Amino acid sequence: MAGVDVVLQVLIWGLYAGCIYILLATGLNLIFGVMKVVNFAHGELLMLGAYITFTFYALSGWNPYVLLGASVPLLIIVGIIIERLCFRPILGTGKLNEIFISIGLIYIVQNAAAIVWTDEWRIIHSPYERITISVFGVNMPLDYLIIIITTALILIGLHLFLRRTRIGKAMRATSQNRNGAMLMGINVERMDMLSFGIGAGFAGAAGTLWVVSGQVFNPYMGSIPAIKAFAIVILGGLGSIPGAIIGGLVYGIAENFAIFTLGGAWKDAISFIILILVLIVRPTGLFGESAE
Amino acid sequence: MIDLNKTLGIGSKKGRLFGIIVLLILAVILPLIFGMNLFLLTILVLMVIFIIYASSWNFLTYTGQGSLGHAAFFGLGGYVSALIATASGLSPFITIFIGGGAAALVGLFIGVICVRLKEWFLAMVTFGFAIIIQTLIVSQFASISGGWDGIAAPRLVSTTIPYYQLIEYYSIVLIAVLIILLFWIILRSKIGLAFAAIRENEMEARAAGIDPVRYRLFAFLVSAYFSGVAGALEIHNLGYITPEIFGVDISFWPIIYSISGGLGTLAGPIVGTIVITVLWDGLRMLGITYARFVIIGVLLVMIIIFLPKGLISLPENVREFIEKRRKSS
Repeated sequence: MAGVDVVLQVLIWGLYAGCIYILLATGLNLIFGVMKVVNFAHGELLMLGAYITFTFYALSGWNPYVLLGASVPLLIIVGIIIERLCFRPILGTGKLNEIFISIGLIYIVQNAAAIVWTDEWRIIHSPYERITISVFGVNMPLDYLIIIITTALILIGLHLFLRRTRIGKAMRATSQNRNGAMLMGINVERMDMLSFGIGAGFAGAAGTLWVVSGQVFNPYMGSIPAIKAFAIVILGGLGSIPGAIIGGLVYGIAENFAIFTLGGAWKDAISFIILILVLIVRPTGLFGESAE
Repeated sequence: MIDLNKTLGIGSKKGRLFGIIVLLILAVILPLIFGMNLFLLTILVLMVIFIIYASSWNFLTYTGQGSLGHAAFFGLGGYVSALIATASGLSPFITIFIGGGAAALVGLFIGVICVRLKEWFLAMVTFGFAIIIQTLIVSQFASISGGWDGIAAPRLVSTTIPYYQLIEYYSIVLIAVLIILLFWIILRSKIGLAFAAIRENEMEARAAGIDPVRYRLFAFLVSAYFSGVAGALEIHNLGYITPEIFGVDISFWPIIYSISGGLGTLAGPIVGTIVITVLWDGLRMLGITYARFVIIGVLLVMIIIFLPKGLISLPENVREFIEKRRKSS
């Protein structure tokens, strides 16, 4: 029964879901690359991005895509605050501590959001909600196309930033060799702050895109996408940004095929099955060099 | 040389003994003082169950491992025990140990996959398994597990017996004491030394002829088994079980308890569970709902940053601080 058009349909859903995962995973990877810490509370930043978009939309009524201009800078600030207050003091005290401090952060951010915005499920409607376009004979919501293009633009922007600008080069240097970078006069602590900020900003962008695509959200929705994003990071190899992009696409598509074939209950589980299979075969991820 | 006191908990032998005796006396007389206050008794029972659960989770950290998905074992122990007790009519006092066995079997399977993984990888895989098992329970096994609605479980002590809640409470306390005693015996033995050696320096441990994989697996097995027993105790106490038991919260609570008490010590999870439970339910009585999560989160972050050895190191830190002040003045 699965004709070509159905496969294409699922592929497009997967591509769209993959975009949000890619943004989260790239942010995580950027932070990991520079600081060598994993922020398990990354999904809470996505959730904050979603709520900031929601609030500004309710206040201004502007096109929600424009609100990327609000959620990203605000999340960069939140990211910098989190880095300074929570992650910097424990830098180098053991990897389990990072996980544990993230758990604390998850509780703080989720429930602070529940106090501010209540824990009801929210939704906003994109102005292009009813418009679909035809791609290879399959109907695709215009929103999905915009999201895919936006994500691509953001990633190109990141690429240019890392390759062409002085700060971007300094960040790459820090991620390759922290001590060496320090000796070259790079302020590595500022790089930490910056990478965490940009990573958080990416999560904010993912939050806005999540909201405009018409997905529901509440203060507790962030954990699962974040955990998946982390699984993608592992899948693609820690610290490898191309790995995160390919991993994100594979994930989004695999997840949507699982929903289609096994039923909606398997949406979350399938990602972990993939992750576990990958880890059994290749404990360092598909594109990673070494975990040690 | 590995300091055994460090592995076991609070500083001096006298202090330890004193602490244990006070705790045991409190455990015995508290419900008697408050009489049959059901609300309080329920909190106490849950607290003791979570002491078992947190201690079992903490058992993993002796080998330097950690898990974000212990709800998988907690829930499996509960489901298997509930199903067997309902189907066979066996007393829950027997089936909780069978439930633990089922959890340990799955734990062994997960352990085999996980022992070679470290830190984040291990955390992710264990977290993933909790979600996979929850999915299996609500989809493939829905016909016997009742899907999202869950199933009823027989009470630990039949409700027809007078004072059944008290009997339940005391038997759970007894089980908790026995389990922690067992942990103590294991950690005092050569196995405990091997654990410490692996945690401190895996290379050297290997050079000394200790097989880290075997010991890690053993720790995983023991931890999963007693988490399963704790889960079974909880559901027989509640009288029902739903797939919510595999939720992220259930995985995170033992971590919060153990860290706030003190990781890798016997006393840590006990102290942590008591302090956090008192704080938690105290805040609830004050009518604080969401904010108490925030408070617990802030507390956790502050403990990790300022008291990396947990609350049990607080007296020592205070003493050091005072001594330093005295010296400088």
